[in-house]
Amino acid sequence: MELKFYIESGIIESFVLGLASEAEVEELQHMRRLYPELDTEVEFVERRLERAAFDEPAMPPVDIRDRVLQKIRWEQGHAYADPSSNYTFINIQPKDGDHITVHRSWKIFFIIFFIMSKIFLFLAIFYYLKYRMSQEQRSDNLRQMIRQEQTQSPLL
Amino acid sequence: MLIERLVIGDPAAKELLYDRYAGALYSIVLQLVPVKERADEVLAKVFLWAFHHIEAFQTSGHRTLFAWLLRRTRELAIKEALPETALTGTELIKKEEGVLQQFYMILPADQQQVFRLSYFKGLSITTIARLLALPEEQINDTLKDAMKSFRQFLKETWN
Repeated sequence: MELKFYIESGIIESFVLGLASEAEVEELQHMRRLYPELDTEVEFVERRLERAAFDEPAMPPVDIRDRVLQKIRWEQGHAYADPSSNYTFINIQPKDGDHITVHRSWKIFFIIFFIMSKIFLFLAIFYYLKYRMSQEQRSDNLRQMIRQEQTQSPLL
Repeated sequence: MLIERLVIGDPAAKELLYDRYAGALYSIVLQLVPVKERADEVLAKVFLWAFHHIEAFQTSGHRTLFAWLLRRTRELAIKEALPETALTGTELIKKEEGVLQQFYMILPADQQQVFRLSYFKGLSITTIARLLALPEEQINDTLKDAMKSFRQFLKETWN
């Protein structure tokens, strides 16, 4: 495909505006690999568009800027949690003599421990009651047996 | 340089990105989103998104930050757009001197319609074809013609 014809088809403008189909974008990527001068053309088109937009800028409300900057500063404060950040932050949590800090896996441990202890408590009560019942059953049976023997063979 | 600083999360670079591009982008946003509060929302969202997705720029195929930001702006603007009850062209008249407006004005009627539905409303070729009761191929060709017109327009005015 003739490169000039391809460029003049407006495919680059289509891509820059986000109107190109997936197939067209793929084709463009492929063509850009084959023809590096296409990269230059993409830049030209984008620069023209940029110039056009900068020709008539509109002042956004100040509160948008404030909002965006506030978010930046807030995120900076939490940046030590961000693995992609190269900034080192000092943890300023005060070392307090009344409290200990433990690894978070202890949380899981305690939850499981708690649940298991409840299960075991339940089982203990259950089997105790069952034991009691079986004891009562046994003593009942024993009483019955004695009574039977007494009726069958009364003391002489 | 700015891009590297943005990748590492330099707050000063983020501020610089906003100050450099907010004005130009806001102008476009006003052309895309008729309601001011929604336009403001879109602008804020674009930058907050950009700060966290700067790596996406590097693989986007774009050569300028502006074009990459503009692409995202349009996507967000389409989401913020009010549902269409009547597909008239009147909601377009927001910023008369804007680049999109100027371009729209020079287009022939058929290209105007397809460009508006495609770029401003984010409708697919299939949807537009159904809406206008025309074959998809025709819509495709019309859009291609609009893009050729856009190329001419940019070259003539901002080369």
